[in-house]
Amino acid sequence: MKKTVINVCLSLTIILIYFLQANFFSWFTIAGIMPNLFVIAILFIGLFGTRTMGAIYGLVVGILLDLIIGTKVGIYSIGLGLIGFLAGVFDKNFSKDSRMTIMVMGVVATAAFEVLVFLLNYVFLATNIEIVNFVKILVIEVIYNLILTIILYPLIQKFGYYIENEYKGNKILTRYF
Amino acid sequence: MYRNKKAGMIGIIITIIILILIVIFSNGESNHSFFENVATNLVMPIQNGLTYLKNKISGNNTFFTDINNLKEENKSLKEKNSELEQSLRELENIKTQNETLKEYLNLTEKYGEYKTIPGYVINKDISNYSKTIVINLGKKDAIQENMTVIGDQGLVGHVVSVTDTTAKVQTIIDTASSVSCSMSTTKDSIVCKGTLDDKSSLKAMYIPTEANIIQGDSIETSGLGGIYPKGIHIGTVKKVTNTQNMTDRYALVETAVDFDKLDTVLVITNQ
Repeated sequence: MKKTVINVCLSLTIILIYFLQANFFSWFTIAGIMPNLFVIAILFIGLFGTRTMGAIYGLVVGILLDLIIGTKVGIYSIGLGLIGFLAGVFDKNFSKDSRMTIMVMGVVATAAFEVLVFLLNYVFLATNIEIVNFVKILVIEVIYNLILTIILYPLIQKFGYYIENEYKGNKILTRYF
Repeated sequence: MYRNKKAGMIGIIITIIILILIVIFSNGESNHSFFENVATNLVMPIQNGLTYLKNKISGNNTFFTDINNLKEENKSLKEKNSELEQSLRELENIKTQNETLKEYLNLTEKYGEYKTIPGYVINKDISNYSKTIVINLGKKDAIQENMTVIGDQGLVGHVVSVTDTTAKVQTIIDTASSVSCSMSTTKDSIVCKGTLDDKSSLKAMYIPTEANIIQGDSIETSGLGGIYPKGIHIGTVKKVTNTQNMTDRYALVETAVDFDKLDTVLVITNQ
């Protein structure tokens, strides 16, 4: 029952993020560059939920985005799916309580996602390779995402531990020792 | 010199202000009106308020007897006001409708030889790399893949996928898009590709070595490639960059369409 509620809440959050991304962040930009809230969302689902949960959420959200707005199905879904999986790996190896590690995770996940999507775009759609412009966009986007992570983290943490208790139960050890 | 620094500073500032005022007032009559205005603006509201209070107190008797009349008058005026507001809103509606219709008319007149359907942009891409848009026309409006989409000023892009009620359009500024174009004066054919750098410029590549490319020249579609019909305006040459090798020189083309403010488009259905 609780798990259903959690999943419904997460789906609603994803929808909210979609509308934020499409309407609000399309003009609230840093030098014309939007942040990518989906990466943050999937990262935290993977971190606080299980690894499979992160990957599945990533794949589903990615496929939806591909269908709604993308040109080729697969680019976002592969990217976000891998981010979900990566979050699971992060969860096993790092602590979530330190602000610093969370920030580093946010940076790594965003950068990994963007590089992957750029490469997939190059392979599937034959775009030009423009390294300088790409790096410029990447750096600004990573900084923007980092700022958003810092702002949103207290909120996410509260909800996150609730999810973690529900999904991992008594398997959590790191937090208490 | 001064007992404490703060008082000294204030003293100096006041002195400077006084000096400036003296200089202004002592030089010429023309400045008077400005300062008069400032002074009046500062004083008049208070003066008005005081006068109003004085009148009210002195005319106390009439104030209370008139109150019923005033209430009625107020009521009728309010009704009138709401009526007027209502009609104003209707007029505004009609005005905006008129403007959109005019816009459509202009567009269709400009590209009269093509059969077009007008539509709205309902969604834009959420990523920083690709620039696709979604419009509110779909299979129900007889839209098919690869149909050309144009805007008020020129080419927008082409339809890449269609659902029943919406269509996804790949814009020409998307990095995956390349359009075969020709320069309007010399008729040399080039290829315009989208760049990551800018939302309003294209990179014109594969310029023939003998071609003479002129800044400010108008660029239009060449009709090659099978998607875009011939002769649709794309933009103007903004800058030509010469490299050591003539074969890989390129030019930046500024798009005629402002993609940030794009909201109405036309889809060409017969090509």
